[in-house]
Amino acid sequence: MLATNAAQLVKISVMGEVANPAMPGLPASPYLVGAEGEPLLLPMFGGLVYNVRMGDRALGWAAELVQPGVSIKHPEAGANMALRAYACLGNRVVVMTGAAAGALGTVVGKSGRFAEHVICHFPAEDVEKMAPGDKVQVQAYGLGLCLLDCPEVTVRNCSPELLAALDLRLGADGRLEVPVKGIVPSVLAGAGAGFGSESSVISIQVPSPEALHEAGLADLRFGDLVAIADWDSRFSHGYLRGSIVVGAVCQGGSYRRGYGPGLVVLLSSKTGAIRPQVHPEKANLTDLLALP
Amino acid sequence: MTLRTNAEDLVVMAVTAFVSAPTLPRPPYRPDVEGMSQVPIGMAGVVYNVRVGDPAFGWAGDHVEPGVSVSHPDPAVDHALHYLTCVGNEARVVTGLAAGARGVVVGEHARLLVDFPPEVLERLCIGDEILIRTHGRGLRLLDFPGIQVKKASPLLLERWGLRVSAAGRLQVPVVAILPPTILGSGAELTPEFVDQDLMTGDRAALAEWGADRLRLGDLVAVQDADHRYGRGYRPGSVTIGLIMHGDSPVGGHGPGCQDLLVCAHGEIEPVLDPKANIAHILGLR
Repeated sequence: MLATNAAQLVKISVMGEVANPAMPGLPASPYLVGAEGEPLLLPMFGGLVYNVRMGDRALGWAAELVQPGVSIKHPEAGANMALRAYACLGNRVVVMTGAAAGALGTVVGKSGRFAEHVICHFPAEDVEKMAPGDKVQVQAYGLGLCLLDCPEVTVRNCSPELLAALDLRLGADGRLEVPVKGIVPSVLAGAGAGFGSESSVISIQVPSPEALHEAGLADLRFGDLVAIADWDSRFSHGYLRGSIVVGAVCQGGSYRRGYGPGLVVLLSSKTGAIRPQVHPEKANLTDLLALP
Repeated sequence: MTLRTNAEDLVVMAVTAFVSAPTLPRPPYRPDVEGMSQVPIGMAGVVYNVRVGDPAFGWAGDHVEPGVSVSHPDPAVDHALHYLTCVGNEARVVTGLAAGARGVVVGEHARLLVDFPPEVLERLCIGDEILIRTHGRGLRLLDFPGIQVKKASPLLLERWGLRVSAAGRLQVPVVAILPPTILGSGAELTPEFVDQDLMTGDRAALAEWGADRLRLGDLVAVQDADHRYGRGYRPGSVTIGLIMHGDSPVGGHGPGCQDLLVCAHGEIEPVLDPKANIAHILGLR
């Protein structure tokens, strides 16, 4: 068990409401533009998603950047920024209003610019009872978390509970060994570059099926841990040789250029102090957090 | 072979803009690539001492916009300004001490960037009205259906020195040919709106690519970047862009690269030419 400063962290409430999907208004051109210029009219990131859940495949849905389960957002921009920055993967969430009041869930992801959600997982029977507008409170715990023996590794978006579940070890060379499903090259990092890693995901572009196959991600699933090589997400996402990032997949595939499955960053090292180890069987949050 | 275009079919249309005012949040800090706080300076307003043709690097600023940055307070008009204005379009000062002065559009960031002679800058006030004669939206290269013209004016295309190679590819003069790994912030936007930054967090890589000496106004190629309908990686694509704003200390950011000519199947052949800068091509200085 790695030493952390968890005893110093503050646990604080942030609240969002189950989000409705949103589409452009008049003159009623609802289309997005696909990678080859084709018009796309598909469900996009939003509210309650009944049939796409953590652990399911991330690619191949007839949807754009689908977010599994329940996406929440605060209607006021400042409060939503706090929600996005404070919420950490593994945090407990509680439904406070509506027919599912009292239901317990878990933070499993975030989105990026234009969506700005926090993504939560709930048992399927609770999702059935929920409705857009229901208040969902996050017991935010994890902002400020440090690995005391790994000063070269920056922790982002990660609760102490998730960190414990990852059961990380230091290798003989002092590098932090982190299980991942696969490792992608930085050229596949797309939308999200330049945005703050505490609140925004980075897209993994999929220019061809082979590109993901080469990275070991042919059957990518929600919750998979994935590394990006030569990538620095300590503050905002950007290219830096020798750096490395590990995050969890929380958004599905895209039909647009520059976008793809979204990765919420958990660990980032400028100096390569993370050694990703390909262990697909140990590298999905659904199992690590024993999500119901 | 002359380059055939549909320029005679294009509509020239006025759009109003105003000299913008710099703004800052409170507190004004923004974290740099190492997490250190910076107060950004250089965006919006009139920048007196940085002009197209000057270095894109080395300023103690963030996303420095050379010359005069203009915008419109009505979002609908502002979008028209963004989507209709092309690099090389003429701008005219309508109100204030500099009324009647003429300038040239030299890029599109969150605001449109207009170059004026230095003596005009002295007389320009924040809020002065600027009229832009937008010209270029709809421009096509008739012999290259696979190449899309983004926001290049007919004037820029005419003076750029574009040639057709013996193999039938469009030869485009650029000062540098860069790999797609350099492209950062802006991937989330369409190529019809502002720019995509070159990421400058890895200074050694920049030097290896010859990107560390880029100047404002430089024309560059980025290989394997498909910027026809989005901004992403696609082997075989080529994007030709204009360096229109300065470097940034923020991770994932850096000099802005605004799309001008794009293709997906190698129809463009970038040709190195150290004079491929719009300050020279458009005779601005």
